[in-house]
Amino acid sequence: MSLRTLLRHETILALVAVVLLVALAFQSAQFFTGANLLNQGRLMTEVGLVAIIMTFVIITGGIDLSVGSILGLTAILTGVFWQNLGLPLMAAAGLAIAVGTFCGFVNGFVITRFGVPPLIATLATLALYRGLAEGISQARSVRGYPDWFYVLGQGNILGVPTQLWILIAFAILASVLLAATRIGRSIYAIGANEVAAFFSGLPVNRTKIAVYTASGFAAALAGVIFVSRVSTTRSDMGTGLELDAITAVVLGGTSIYGGRGSVIGTLIGLVVIQSLKNGLSLAGIKAEGTAVLIGLMLIGAILMTTAFNKRRA
Amino acid sequence: MAVLSQASTLSTRKPQNSRPFIARLMTDYGQECVIIAAILLLFVAVGLYNPRFLSTSNLTTIFSGNAYIAVAAIGMSMVIITGHIDVSVGALIGVLATISGTLAVSGYPVWVAWGAPILLGMAVNFIVGWLVAFARIPSIVVTLGMMSILRGGLISITGGTWISGLPKAFMIAQWKPFGLPFPIIAMVVLTLLAAWWMRNFPFGRSLYAVGGNPEAAKATGISSERRVLAVFVIHGAIAGIATILFATQLQVIQSTVPPNLELTVITAAVIGGVSILGGSGTVIGSTLAAILFAAIGSALIFVNVSAYWLRAVIGGLILITVLADMIRRRPKK
Amino acid sequence: MASNFEQQRALEPYVRLAGISKSFGPVKVLKDVSFDVRPGEIHALLGENGAGKSTMIKILSGLYQADGGVMEIEGQPMRFATAKDANASGIATVYQELLLFPELTVAENIFLGHYPQKAMGRIDWTAARAKARELLDSLDCHDLHVDTRIATLSVAQRQRVEIAKALSHKARILIMDEPTASLTEKDVTRLMEVVRSLKARGVGIIYVSHRMPEIFALADRVSVLRDGMMIDTRDITEADEATLVSMMVGRSIEQLFPKGEAKIGEPVLDVSKLNHGRLVQNISFTLRRGEVLGIAGLVGSGRTELALTLFGITPATSGEIRVKGKPVSIRTPRQARDLGLAYVPEDRGLQGLVKSMSINENLSMAALDRIAPGLFLNFAEEARRAVEAVKRLGVRARAGIHQPVGELSGGNQQKVVIAKWLETRPDILILDEPTRGVDVGAKAEIHAMMSDLAAKGLAIIMISSELPEVIGMSDRILVMNNGQVTGMIDRADATPETVGGAMTAQAKSKEAA
Repeated sequence: MSLRTLLRHETILALVAVVLLVALAFQSAQFFTGANLLNQGRLMTEVGLVAIIMTFVIITGGIDLSVGSILGLTAILTGVFWQNLGLPLMAAAGLAIAVGTFCGFVNGFVITRFGVPPLIATLATLALYRGLAEGISQARSVRGYPDWFYVLGQGNILGVPTQLWILIAFAILASVLLAATRIGRSIYAIGANEVAAFFSGLPVNRTKIAVYTASGFAAALAGVIFVSRVSTTRSDMGTGLELDAITAVVLGGTSIYGGRGSVIGTLIGLVVIQSLKNGLSLAGIKAEGTAVLIGLMLIGAILMTTAFNKRRA
Repeated sequence: MAVLSQASTLSTRKPQNSRPFIARLMTDYGQECVIIAAILLLFVAVGLYNPRFLSTSNLTTIFSGNAYIAVAAIGMSMVIITGHIDVSVGALIGVLATISGTLAVSGYPVWVAWGAPILLGMAVNFIVGWLVAFARIPSIVVTLGMMSILRGGLISITGGTWISGLPKAFMIAQWKPFGLPFPIIAMVVLTLLAAWWMRNFPFGRSLYAVGGNPEAAKATGISSERRVLAVFVIHGAIAGIATILFATQLQVIQSTVPPNLELTVITAAVIGGVSILGGSGTVIGSTLAAILFAAIGSALIFVNVSAYWLRAVIGGLILITVLADMIRRRPKK
Repeated sequence: MASNFEQQRALEPYVRLAGISKSFGPVKVLKDVSFDVRPGEIHALLGENGAGKSTMIKILSGLYQADGGVMEIEGQPMRFATAKDANASGIATVYQELLLFPELTVAENIFLGHYPQKAMGRIDWTAARAKARELLDSLDCHDLHVDTRIATLSVAQRQRVEIAKALSHKARILIMDEPTASLTEKDVTRLMEVVRSLKARGVGIIYVSHRMPEIFALADRVSVLRDGMMIDTRDITEADEATLVSMMVGRSIEQLFPKGEAKIGEPVLDVSKLNHGRLVQNISFTLRRGEVLGIAGLVGSGRTELALTLFGITPATSGEIRVKGKPVSIRTPRQARDLGLAYVPEDRGLQGLVKSMSINENLSMAALDRIAPGLFLNFAEEARRAVEAVKRLGVRARAGIHQPVGELSGGNQQKVVIAKWLETRPDILILDEPTRGVDVGAKAEIHAMMSDLAAKGLAIIMISSELPEVIGMSDRILVMNNGQVTGMIDRADATPETVGGAMTAQAKSKEAA
């Protein structure tokens, strides 16, 4: 594998993305306007943050299905801490993010300490965290946040949506972390051969816990941004987010079996998915229609990579 | 030279194959016994707190209204026993219910409206099973994708409108042969039939082999691919039956997917004693667990706890059960 | 009991292999192997790891198909496509890693795949349980209940279930792959009785084991495989331990194994009464700078387990380890590495290398702290070190340091693993089978490198199943058997006879305790 195939997959995907963008631009005059593209960036941020760390998780050979629920729980807690406990909004959001991060840590702990397969552990916490969100909120939504809070989700800085800056910073940080640090190197090694990584003295369990904790943090941060963007909290926020994130990651060339992948690939995958959604909605197809397409793309992308790997082997 | 078959008669000791009934029950059906105890305890405790909990109408709601979950959990148990998972079953039931209802109101004979979900369920899961067994894509990925396809397809085609005006003959869930609601009969019969089949037929037993130790299964000459495919198809057929029970219990069919149905179904299977790592469990346990959930959900209301906590309770239960399963399976010493 | 006629027949082999060969890719695992088993005979099969025993067993049990040669059952040529074919021809196998289903009952495990059936294909449980009972009784296993789940049984009990399962196929030939490897002394005795009773019933048994006392107590004939070739088959009466050991390990000496002169310095590793499980019992030794300590022993003697315990992979349950005089506790490979230990493991592909990653990335894996003192990897430094290591160790890679290690030959892969650990600048280097699966040229290079490293003051522990290598390279040889030290032999006294003798000796009874 290594750089060569990796580049090849990403190059192909990038070409697909470009063709798609051009096609959509021809198809609808609204698509290729600055305002529309920036708005798409705004809509992409929450999934983007989660998908970037999901890339890490999947490279270690794991999966995190609980991200959507962590997002929902964080959103609810932000509202509850602020309105019901009377905390300053900043502290409430910070505390909620801390809880979301802890939720991620719990995933990592259960997976490494008890050896529960990541799929099962996070499927269980998917139910648990969403259940907590529902129980705490009692289907009540919290609205009426101070105006400054909406800067995060609805405002602009230098003409670019605020949260897009966060996504860009997050993406750069994550790319560097994965590609150029020893933590990143350990993540690849663990995903490619966990036994050899352990025999080489790499901190396998610590790295895994860190990755799931980071996943919780990303989902929690996305939760606060979500609240700011839509001006309200509801307990069903982020339902199905895990699917969008996993699809972007897999479409971006990260192997579902671990050991291979990149943040850049995930970002291109995100762009492809988001522009498809946008293009289809401009063409009058509802959001649900794109769900069909995302499902097909997810299965198709993996089918192609497995077929590709089989031929190489 | 049938050396060995004769040799065995040399043994003089009498075979000792009997064990006390209670001991056998506890070792072979331990999880099932625990769930029955939990259900009884729940009924007694909540019944004492609020006797209306034990009223006929409430019991009917609990048993009959949730029978389709128990039925769907039968197929899910088989899937998990072979070492896989299916998160698309909720979406599948939603789609099949809409198709079945549409056929019924469009004037097709009821047997078409009943038969279609079963056949279509098998067809959809044939694709899923093929992708899992032969294309070797992890079942979680395939079924996540399938969930998205089915869910999105359903809403974009129906636009979320409800189907009403269902013909009376179609409403099989409202039958009461011998005074018992049909869903309860279907649940009991299907559970016992599936349990009997999985206990007494080589194919049923081989599912445990494939899920429990795929390597050993291969060395024993049991190929896992065909069995995994078959299990998904059977699971699809059972999902079709669950759909009929679900779609015919009310006068309208909501053209949306019942939220989180797949999770409830998976949880029922897992808490019913089906090990999440594959290779063990029975469908009797999963049916009992589905009843337990329904009872918990109902009990929350009767003891004035908000039903919004239900999912947190179920999530906590899955986590605890999975951890217990892992600790139990950890090699001793 | 047996008539004259039957005795005559008994001499005809039931199964015969002639000129069998088998390759995996470019690697020839079996070369022109001939072998046969007669009814009512116990035929012991010996050979070191990688000699080709398990491949031969798998061909006999239908899991692999031979590339060349013939297999005959009662004189008729046969080919097995699956395990079922072999069972149908009366060959059953009890594998070392028992192939049972833990959640199913004893009776089920015995009859899985060939249940007695009633109408409509229903399983006849009554018959299955009764037959299982009979089979177990015929093996004198009256204490095993047919309805017990396998998960609750001990290893010895599971093995009896496996044997019963094999017999349920009406086996005429039973292959037993290291059946005593994980049994206690008492269970071994019981197993041997079972094997004898099977023999008495006319079952032919292929008995794979490394334990000499069992082989001499049970076998009628013994065959030795080495490097995929059948070295010899002889009657047990014409064999003794020393010759068998030398047949197994005494490969023709293609070149000398020169350990150069090295100044033996102060002790760097002191191990005292180290214990972990059954295969590391009361191990004590001292290792000095510049010294190569060879560890010899047959497979299953505990030599690799000792290394795993020293390296923190299976941490010691008791005993003391001192590194450079300081008592230490080693619970993880990370701690071991930080204390200056390095371990080149036995299973290169699984434990030693990340095959999909490049030479470069593998080389820095154990020493990431050096290449990334902060958080960031210094790619220039990493590449510089890699180029240097590749040159110093003579790793041959077409595409240079960015070539995935999975594409390298065995010898070059091994050099990468060694180089990876040298990057950590260790004081103590543990090499587990450093030259297995390595061609002759690379082998000499690895030996030269070891001498060189020792001369520079590194302390080396070398585990090897090749006697000439151990004797040629070691300053001292620690010999193990059954998890205990059975000899510590100085270079001057090391001969194939002394070392081979200690490999099968019993530990002096509890003198250490």
